Amino acid sequence: MSGDSVRPTGPGETVGDTPVRNGDVWLVVPCFNEGTVIEDVLREAGKTFPNIVAVDDGSTDDSSLAIHRAGAHLVRHPVNLGQGAAIQTGVEYARSQPGAQYFVTFDADGQHQVKDVLTMVGRLRSEPVDIVVGTRFGRPRAEGDQVPLIKRIVLKTVVLLSPRTRRLGLTDAHNGLRVFNRRVAEDLNLRMNGMSHASEFVELMDARGWRVAEEPVDILYTEYSMSKGQSLLNGINILSDGFVGRRLPR
Amino acid sequence: MIKVLLLLAGAGLVLFFVANRRKARAKAGVKIGFVLFVVFMVYAVLRPDDLTVVANYLGVQRGTDLVLYALVMGFAFVTVSTWVRFREQELRYSRLARTIALANAVRPEDQIDVRIMKPVRDDDPLQA
Repeated sequence: MSGDSVRPTGPGETVGDTPVRNGDVWLVVPCFNEGTVIEDVLREAGKTFPNIVAVDDGSTDDSSLAIHRAGAHLVRHPVNLGQGAAIQTGVEYARSQPGAQYFVTFDADGQHQVKDVLTMVGRLRSEPVDIVVGTRFGRPRAEGDQVPLIKRIVLKTVVLLSPRTRRLGLTDAHNGLRVFNRRVAEDLNLRMNGMSHASEFVELMDARGWRVAEEPVDILYTEYSMSKGQSLLNGINILSDGFVGRRLPR
Repeated sequence: MIKVLLLLAGAGLVLFFVANRRKARAKAGVKIGFVLFVVFMVYAVLRPDDLTVVANYLGVQRGTDLVLYALVMGFAFVTVSTWVRFREQELRYSRLARTIALANAVRPEDQIDVRIMKPVRDDDPLQA
């Protein structure tokens, strides 16, 4: 499971049913009090992606031990800082590892799917883009669509209100599933610790001129992930963070 | 008249300090402003009638009202600057915590150090 001995797969390698050794891909999994599910999520993802770094964001449960048992790299914040901070920490860890070329932000609660990551990594390898972002609205609404109605409306409104998101051609402002290359990883400097990091990420894409693409993904809204999902009221916090962000040191 | 003045002064102050707060000039500005404020308040207490004259000139009935308006603006300014300052502090502290976390990273093949990995205490007020 260690990343040392794994040689990076070449850019031309196809991604399909045959197991590809994604030795150059690093999954970054922020985790806060996910002790009940994280081990399974990491084990499942670990079958496809040998390199996983899970950032335990000062959990009060046994998340750290679960991460270690699952065979992932463990970085632990001594205090709780927030999801944005955890992602930044994870990316900083991953980008310092030898052979790391592609980076994935992946949720700890099991709502993201490995098959989507494979597709996105494949696109990053073959297309001239720096970052591929997951979208819940990429294709016509399917029968089995699991995005709750109120969430759909709010997320769509966020996109409509943000000129930046529209300019970049993004349809889903706050999707946590992202795959990006070294350029983005080296440049990444998230200063919003909490949930506002998604907006900050979009802002960075625009400001740094990263080439962005979207990929339709499926989100599994389990009862567990719903109970952990962010409150819609949080939008207000995110807006005010946008204001203060311009005044923070780099 | 007074309304326009107050609004302009408030917006101007907040913008100036929020935009330039880290510069030495603004820091000195805050100190000078504070001294002026204290001098003004002492004067206002000693000669309240003068204050009323100034207030009338600005279109306010009483000098005390003028002081109240000034206080409201001051409070708004302090609130905003404290908030920004807290966020700055938070960012520094995050970077410190990140450095510690990265220095103590545990690779899959490592033995886990239970001392470092023990759960954060439940009664930690920061966890609320």
